[in-house]
Amino acid sequence: MSRPNPFNDSSGKETTCLEMLQAILDGDATEEQQQYFREHMDKCKPCYKSHELNMQIKQLVKSKCCGSHVPPDLVEKIKSQFNSIS
Amino acid sequence: MKSGPGGAWASFAIIKSSDPSPILLLFLGFMEETQREKYTEKEKISVFNNEFLPHINSMYNFGYRLTLDEDDAKDLVQDTYLKSYRFIESFQKGTNAKAWLFRILKNSFINDYRKKSKEPNKVDYQEVESYYNSDDVDRQITTDLRVESLQDMIGDEISNALNSLDVDFRTVIILCDLEGFKYDEMAKILDIPIGTVRSRLHRARNLLKDKLSVYAKKMGYKNP
Repeated sequence: MSRPNPFNDSSGKETTCLEMLQAILDGDATEEQQQYFREHMDKCKPCYKSHELNMQIKQLVKSKCCGSHVPPDLVEKIKSQFNSIS
Repeated sequence: MKSGPGGAWASFAIIKSSDPSPILLLFLGFMEETQREKYTEKEKISVFNNEFLPHINSMYNFGYRLTLDEDDAKDLVQDTYLKSYRFIESFQKGTNAKAWLFRILKNSFINDYRKKSKEPNKVDYQEVESYYNSDDVDRQITTDLRVESLQDMIGDEISNALNSLDVDFRTVIILCDLEGFKYDEMAKILDIPIGTVRSRLHRARNLLKDKLSVYAKKMGYKNP
């Protein structure tokens, strides 16, 4: 007997691969769902490939698009305005 | 939005004396939704310094990714912090300060920056969302991007691809992938239902892949 899919809701509708992948990518999956998906990827090559690609994009976005440094004078400017009104 | 010191206070005073504007309604909305907190002056300073200011790096990055301009991002962040202090009593102790600040910044961007922006509105967002919610799009969007091609994108390709997305699609990627917000937090920040957050993220990821696929082709990668 196969293990019940923890992504399925109470309506009994079977969750698709795409829906599972999106929950994983969006950080919305529980620990149990993540474990289920890891096991699922061992049997589903399209899911494995899509997960690998999407996770790499997600990691690249995080590493390449977080580098905006706050201008040094901005914090001081905000603090000085804050002091003048508080 | 080139407001000088006290600019936010002055503009709020003007708003109070005229008909309800989106900005006033926004903050009235905060007050209706949340129970107002009582803070002493010492507590206000403590909340501002210990709960609000530590998020300034993320706030600036968000402002920059929305406006794509360093000066506008600075103004937006400055304005957001002034508003956060002005409306601090709408901030409930123990709740998510970062999400609250992001919501103020996003609303300031929509209400103040977008109206004054010199950049013309290129697209009607509803039109774009309807289009990208149609079933044809998943088939149209290329899926030929490969991990190997991404590994060579060490320059600005990723950042440029993200910046080239329509701001509403860009925003959900930033909130989810850069800042780690959950669906419910994004729904509150953006004032949209959770289902819309989910579908918008899905479309945004596909669009980003599409942009990266174009870069990959320019770099000489061919379809598998």
